[in-house]
Amino acid sequence: MTSRFLTATAVLALAAGLTACGSTPESTTTPNAAADPVKLTVWVMRDSFTDGVISRFKTGFEASHQGTTLDIQIQEWDGIGQKVTSALASNDAPDVIEVGNTQVAEYAASGGVKDLTDKVAELGGTDWIPGLAEPGKIDGRQYGIPWYAANRVVIYNKDLFEKAGVTAAPKTRDEWIEVTTKLNKGGTQGIYLPGQNWYTLAGFIWDEGGDLAVKEGDQWKGALDTPQAIAGIGFYQRLQALGEGPRDSDEAKPPQADVFAKGDVAQLISSPGGATAIEKANPELAGKLGFFPIPGKTADKPGAVFTGGSDLIIPEASRNPDAAYEVIKALAGEKFQLDMAKEMSYVPNKASFAGVLSGSEGAAAMAIGATNGHATPNSANWAAVEAKNVIKEYLTKVLTGGDAAAESTAASQVITDILNTKS
Amino acid sequence: MPGLWPYLLVAPTVLGAAYLLLYPLLRSVVISFQHFRTGELIRGGAAFVGLENYQEVLGSGEFWSVVWRTLLWTAVNVVLIMVISTLVALMIARLRKRLRLAVMSGLVLTWATPVLAATTIFQWLFQSRLGVVNWLLATLGLESFRSYTWFADGTSTFVILVVLVVWQSVPFAALTLYAALTTIPAELYESARIDGATGWQIFRNVTFPILRPLFGLITSLEVIWVFKCFAQIWAISRGGPDGATTTLPVYAFQVAQSLHKYDLGAAISTLTVLILVAALITHLRRMLRHEGDQL
Amino acid sequence: MRLRRLPLTLAALSVLIVSVFPVYWMVLTAFKPTRDIQADTPTFWPSHPTLDHFATAISADGFGLFWRNSLLVTVSAVLAAMAVALLAAFAVARMRWRGRRGFILMVFIAQMAPWEALLISMFIIARDTGMLDKLSMLSLIYFMTTLPFTIVTLRGFLAAIPPELEEAAQMDGASRVVAFRRVVFPLLAPGLMSTSLFGFITAWNEFAFANALIIKNQDDRTLPVWLSSFSNIFGTDWGATMAAATLFMLPVLLIFLVLQRRVTSGFTAGAIKG
Repeated sequence: MTSRFLTATAVLALAAGLTACGSTPESTTTPNAAADPVKLTVWVMRDSFTDGVISRFKTGFEASHQGTTLDIQIQEWDGIGQKVTSALASNDAPDVIEVGNTQVAEYAASGGVKDLTDKVAELGGTDWIPGLAEPGKIDGRQYGIPWYAANRVVIYNKDLFEKAGVTAAPKTRDEWIEVTTKLNKGGTQGIYLPGQNWYTLAGFIWDEGGDLAVKEGDQWKGALDTPQAIAGIGFYQRLQALGEGPRDSDEAKPPQADVFAKGDVAQLISSPGGATAIEKANPELAGKLGFFPIPGKTADKPGAVFTGGSDLIIPEASRNPDAAYEVIKALAGEKFQLDMAKEMSYVPNKASFAGVLSGSEGAAAMAIGATNGHATPNSANWAAVEAKNVIKEYLTKVLTGGDAAAESTAASQVITDILNTKS
Repeated sequence: MPGLWPYLLVAPTVLGAAYLLLYPLLRSVVISFQHFRTGELIRGGAAFVGLENYQEVLGSGEFWSVVWRTLLWTAVNVVLIMVISTLVALMIARLRKRLRLAVMSGLVLTWATPVLAATTIFQWLFQSRLGVVNWLLATLGLESFRSYTWFADGTSTFVILVVLVVWQSVPFAALTLYAALTTIPAELYESARIDGATGWQIFRNVTFPILRPLFGLITSLEVIWVFKCFAQIWAISRGGPDGATTTLPVYAFQVAQSLHKYDLGAAISTLTVLILVAALITHLRRMLRHEGDQL
Repeated sequence: MRLRRLPLTLAALSVLIVSVFPVYWMVLTAFKPTRDIQADTPTFWPSHPTLDHFATAISADGFGLFWRNSLLVTVSAVLAAMAVALLAAFAVARMRWRGRRGFILMVFIAQMAPWEALLISMFIIARDTGMLDKLSMLSLIYFMTTLPFTIVTLRGFLAAIPPELEEAAQMDGASRVVAFRRVVFPLLAPGLMSTSLFGFITAWNEFAFANALIIKNQDDRTLPVWLSSFSNIFGTDWGATMAAATLFMLPVLLIFLVLQRRVTSGFTAGAIKG
């Protein structure tokens, strides 16, 4: 359910920010809520933010909201659907939860999420990035509050590029393969691309003009077996072979930032925020990381990317909905948005905040990539395709020697079946 | 009032089971007759839909392939466990004291390894780049195993899981069988040997008949344990790749927890229990008859 | 004679290696410096043992707390199961009553309970009784998961103790309870201990319920849940992962080493009779 609106606005926002470099300051002082001491639980996903961003927010918020303490808990992506559903169904849920923009609609539809429509005006909702605001909205009611967005770029190790004599970032796929082959020598991995990075595969397929699934009338059809999609996985395979990324695993297992941090990997596909994690794991790499947009087929158009992001929700079962709203207000507000955008190179939730990203190399690369942003198929059942790891397992099969034609037909059939089930 | 005592003694068990086992089981069965998805879990108010869930489950080809896979999984594991355990038990009985103690301690060590630790170890052993298994195979000249990705292929993942489960299950069965072997009077063996019986004949005519009740008990326990096995499969493969290691408990969990189709998951679980009971019905009947004789 | 035993000795050694090696490899990896772990040629002996990985594992967020939670839940569940099972086992092994066969059958069937399938109904029950996010709910569930097996095993042990011993004590004027406590209980002690081990391992390992029923109180998580998020905590650090797995295994290992002989001999005595 990632909205296609995201792309366009993100670009506009970034462009505006990068050139104008200014934003209207907005009062962030909030009236102190009731004096009763409350302890709020906030769920944030693993690797969404650095510890620094989170602890700065916690300290600041607690100082300006006397009597409120925040328990910010980091959640793992693995099994998160089960976890959030359990939380929504409980009597004493966490007060604020971060949910991915491909999942927020499903939760909002379940009836366990608080309707925040009457707060939209106060939060300045007219300025929100539609790609985050739209998925959080059902039947005109706003349940998810936009938080941040990002898309993938290539992060590279400047030292290794220099050592291999690579002076310019590749602009086309052919150049990219050429450069990566050159880098992939001796103890150096040209690129670390785990076999199951299916968002990256999706980008290659979109580049070819294909898609993951298409809607014909009111029926969905898995589209991994189209010639375009086969060409996409073909390129993935060529690129993946130029490094030692595990063919049976994704970017979280092991965390790819840790792998890159060892210093013998030349390139990595990640959101620009990944650079922060890399520098944390290995401070020696600080200042040695560069960014470029994922190259497209031709030099005039960057590679297609999946545009992802997160919304914030308050469960109906929260015991402190008013205090929870104060947290959301702060997290969606200017102070936090500017701070996290600066440190993580994420796209903030409002176009007017984007100025903060000017001067950031990662954000600049991301902005170029964002001009060719795409979304996953707009079906409520798409989450089930992800949950069953259909595309990940398809990738592994092809990368370990399976026949792409046969495997893609089978995988497409599975996608067709899942998307056409009635829920 | 001696007549009341036994009932008082089993009362805590019965009450505990009623509340913590029977009641959840009944609720699960009820859910299997309802439309029960995320919304119903959160808001309540599930509607009854009769046999719809069962029709959907039984009508899907996936369910039946999972059933066959589960039966294969159970058969392969239990046969391997029983054969290997018997051989190991017979071997231990023939060892000299020190070696016997060493082997038994080794088995106990395996037995004591918690499931989650064991799955972590196996993932490490079969890790593609740094795993010691690939190193060993490559060193032995099987170059194709250098950086071989075991967990990418359905069959090899299935095989690893079988190895893991057999590795974990053999100690219990083997040590129990060995301990039983030691209770067989030596005279029985001697007289058989004097009659000129071969090793196999001795096993078939002397050892096996005496141990038969124990074989029955261990086999049925292993059937239950292997059939229900969930933690190992979930931790290592999540039922993948491509469903190649999805057995019934894993399937029910996936449908309920990953896809949030709690109603279908409940229907699958109910069917799982029925299949298990059907598979063990002969054993249960024999056990019941046996109970009648005793005491 | 020596030569004739050779195949047997080789078989014994291979069984020994197969059973011990994985655990040895875990402990060895935990003590190896990272450089050795990532070497192209593995070493099979700790040439430069280090405690770094254990330090990493122990200093990981909340390790001590989760260890304590696990121990608390497991021990309370096992003790409760032992007490309840002892009563039931006595009734089954020593008394005649209507419904006894049915009871035994139910206990056996209870072992087949598909626990993971009860997650949702258990979740609903816990929620509706205010037991969500509570360690005591986990204790109750673990008590129930271990109870059937405990009854079956204890009953076997009891059956192996001749009733004549009790009867003799009763004839000497002791009441049935006293006779049980003075005569049967001491004989049963090894059986009780070994049975408790099965319960301990089962409960110590449990992941699905601990993961589903502890939602918001993250301080109440148990070790298996924490262990399962290893890849996220330690990443490619196999040394720390193996150190944590070693620490996870430690209590079970200790109890086993103390009790191992009683476990095997005791269990058989019961099983054969039953």
